[in-house]
Amino acid sequence: MTVAGPIQLRGLDDEGIRVGVSSDECIKCNVCNTVCPVARVSDRFPGPKYVGPQAQRFRLAIDLPIQGVQPAPPSPDHTVDYCSGCGFCTTACPAGVKIAEMNNRARAAIRATHRPPLRDRLLGDPDLLGRLGVPFAPLANWTLSNGLIRRLIEAILGIHRRAPLPSFARRTFRSRMARRDGVIVGGRRPDASLPPPTRAVVYFHGCAANYYEPRVADATVAVLRRNGLSVIVPPQECCGLPLISNGLYQQARKRARRNIDVLSAYARAGYRIVLSTTSCGHTLKAEYAEMLDLDDADAHAVADATWDIMELLRDLHEEGKLDTRFGRLDEELPYHAPCQLRSHGIGLPALDLFALVPGLRAEDMDHDCCGVAGTYGLKVEKYDIAMAVGADLFEAIDERPAARVACDSETCRWQIGLATGRDLCHPVEILADAYTAAGRADGQPSAAARDA
Amino acid sequence: MPTADVVVVGAGLAGLVTTYELARRGAAVVLLAKGHASTHWAAGTLDVAALPRSATPRDGVRTLAELPNHPYAVLRDDVEPAVTGFVDLVERAGLPYVGGLDTPIRALPTGIGGTRPAAIVPEGMAAAMTPWGADEMLVLCGIGGFKDFWPDAVAASLSRPSVWQAAVDGPDTASDGPPGSTGVRPGIAPHAVVAVTADLPGLAGRHNLSAVHVARGFDDRAWRDAAIDAIGRAVDGAGVRGRPFRIGLPAVLGLDDHRETLTAFETRLGVPVFELPLVPPSVPGMRLFDVLRTAIRQAGGRIQLGESVSRVEVEGARVRLVATPAAVREFAVRTEALVIATGGLTGGGIVGQPDGRLEEVVLGLPVEAPSRGAWFAADALDPTGHPIEAAGVRTDPELRPVRHDGRASHSNVRVVGSLLAGQRWLGERCGEGVALASAGRAAVSLAAGGFRGVQPLLATADTTSSQVRARGGAVEPGVGPDSLAPAR
Repeated sequence: MTVAGPIQLRGLDDEGIRVGVSSDECIKCNVCNTVCPVARVSDRFPGPKYVGPQAQRFRLAIDLPIQGVQPAPPSPDHTVDYCSGCGFCTTACPAGVKIAEMNNRARAAIRATHRPPLRDRLLGDPDLLGRLGVPFAPLANWTLSNGLIRRLIEAILGIHRRAPLPSFARRTFRSRMARRDGVIVGGRRPDASLPPPTRAVVYFHGCAANYYEPRVADATVAVLRRNGLSVIVPPQECCGLPLISNGLYQQARKRARRNIDVLSAYARAGYRIVLSTTSCGHTLKAEYAEMLDLDDADAHAVADATWDIMELLRDLHEEGKLDTRFGRLDEELPYHAPCQLRSHGIGLPALDLFALVPGLRAEDMDHDCCGVAGTYGLKVEKYDIAMAVGADLFEAIDERPAARVACDSETCRWQIGLATGRDLCHPVEILADAYTAAGRADGQPSAAARDA
Repeated sequence: MPTADVVVVGAGLAGLVTTYELARRGAAVVLLAKGHASTHWAAGTLDVAALPRSATPRDGVRTLAELPNHPYAVLRDDVEPAVTGFVDLVERAGLPYVGGLDTPIRALPTGIGGTRPAAIVPEGMAAAMTPWGADEMLVLCGIGGFKDFWPDAVAASLSRPSVWQAAVDGPDTASDGPPGSTGVRPGIAPHAVVAVTADLPGLAGRHNLSAVHVARGFDDRAWRDAAIDAIGRAVDGAGVRGRPFRIGLPAVLGLDDHRETLTAFETRLGVPVFELPLVPPSVPGMRLFDVLRTAIRQAGGRIQLGESVSRVEVEGARVRLVATPAAVREFAVRTEALVIATGGLTGGGIVGQPDGRLEEVVLGLPVEAPSRGAWFAADALDPTGHPIEAAGVRTDPELRPVRHDGRASHSNVRVVGSLLAGQRWLGERCGEGVALASAGRAAVSLAAGGFRGVQPLLATADTTSSQVRARGGAVEPGVGPDSLAPAR
């Protein structure tokens, strides 16, 4: 038997290794287990501590080869698949352990050992689904709302028959953006004809605002235009997050590299990259490096230039550059801050901005997670967990007379909308409405009204 | 960049209560913290002071206040209003505490079979705090499959009268005779302790059962009633009916519906029932955190967990900006004041470097501590603790940190909680008392200067925009910066 020499650590400059060895900081206090929304409602997930720092010592044998020690199998605990990836464990940890990131990587390691199910490959590719669905939107939407067909889909694919699937838009945002005032269809590289970065931003609309909710893209464009910013829309594809959360890192990496190739050129030219979806935004900001090991200068240039739309607007306001001539919106507005927003670490910019709108009575629902966590709650074996996680939130919304509810993330909007029957909107739509209301009060159509 | 009147750093009791006290006085306040803190670990009792042979918390405060370097030397008169204010707040929020500064300190049994001296406790522990009758028994009821409370081991330990006496008179004060023998004052310990285990509905086949799981079970009314009946049957099996007894259970009796759970026990069993604090996670502490979080939100304050402070900007003697790392760039808050509630060596507010330097983590404030050779007692488990526990930041009476010459180094900074130098809260059991008293004083001191009423950022949902404007006056409807006409 070989006796191991002094432990040789390599790659501590590597993001993946840093995530892995952060398990050393775990003091076994169990705080992560108390905040886990999944462990709260289900026994199938033992909690982030058990599948995370506790199991990590076994995995480190692979990540950190120790002399004389044989690599171990990928993970001693397959229940990690029940982690929804909300990230609350990481934010609650008093010791700074990257629990959620650790668990996501562990899941990917398990997935890498066998061919993933068709369902996960489909759910991981909203871009493909959108391209297939939009041209046949009426038929596709009818199909996906037909109970019998949904039962078949559940039986064949494992997507729960009642899971919140969005409706395809009849026209994508991209198909009509060229005709929109203030939108510039960008190339793969910025060119001299573009307005300077002080007068324009790059818009990464993501899949949802393109295929399912173009009204969010419209509102984003209108609000940016109202504040004197042109909107450059370069070629782009799915950010890769659905692939990441389904453990399909290889495929995600390909998409990420293609996005980084285009976006880094704009970032280097000084343009800010704006997103109207917190989850894709967090992917560009953090997960390309933390999950996909895309740790190069281009990826960092993209991350550093990336802004959530509400974060950008709040920043404009702090600089005195936000047009605060909002009209009156007399309404109660329950607001749910999605999990991914919290991982941005930027506070609650939507609430900060809502406070500028006269008459608007926004209320932070202060609830951890709506349950759906991207594609998690769509899966037949996880649907009940997802609905149970969100139950208190749905109940709290049911108790309020509000006509609509605001939330920064699309999959959360679809989940909450289905569970409560309310209209769900992105916070930027509220601001666009407030600008429109101001236009009405002036007796003149505002920029937002014209654009929308 | 968001703007606040006050940034509070640290999410333990001191940070939470300071945030609440500031928010209710009209400050735009945001609490930033690395993660959850003492609430999720601590027993949930309100420890104000419990020294060996002090009869009441007030007694203990008096003794500690005579130590010239102890925080109570400055805060002694703040303790009573702070404790009263806290008890009122949690009572209004539906989480009543029982006891006060003049309540006799008694032995509260714990889930590892020890006792801790306590006087002010959550309602769920109150039934442990009255004197034991001469023939009164304690039935400890475990929960089948729940590994964090092993009733047989706990009963074996609590059957020793010295374990109870130690909480009141200090360690090494009594020897163990047979139960009820001389040497233990009457009323301190139960006549006998017996253990039973109840199988609660649906838990038998579960694995990884945590205190939080069981507590959430009790939040469900139907399950709760069935569980209480199962506990009643298990206790009947102990053969104590017909004699006076109390039931001790692990501290899992409901998270959101704790009061309803206690009421259900009372109506269904009709026997005094109390909770024994457990190893972390602490359900009583989580209840307290939830109550304070809601109170802060309703008063207009914010809590943001997940990152520790990465940068502070100081201009002259004033802190101007506090930043935490975000996913990219940083989350920077411009602020008029900073409250440091990061805890001492155990809380992470002070970090010891390999070369023996002790560093305060937010501002690099000077740390007052014994010299390195005198950090530790000879015995690792010395019941009086270790001198290093007194390490902390020295302040002036307004709780501003001071330089070595005793003058305030930062005029708009306050230090609260266990980061304050001169306390040894483990042995003195003064953690919550110092936290509350210093939180109150810091809030009053910062409010005395008035809050500027900053821009309406960091206003929460519970503060309507009109209220924010009334306070801030920063934005008038219909008036925007001239340079930004609507784009065409």
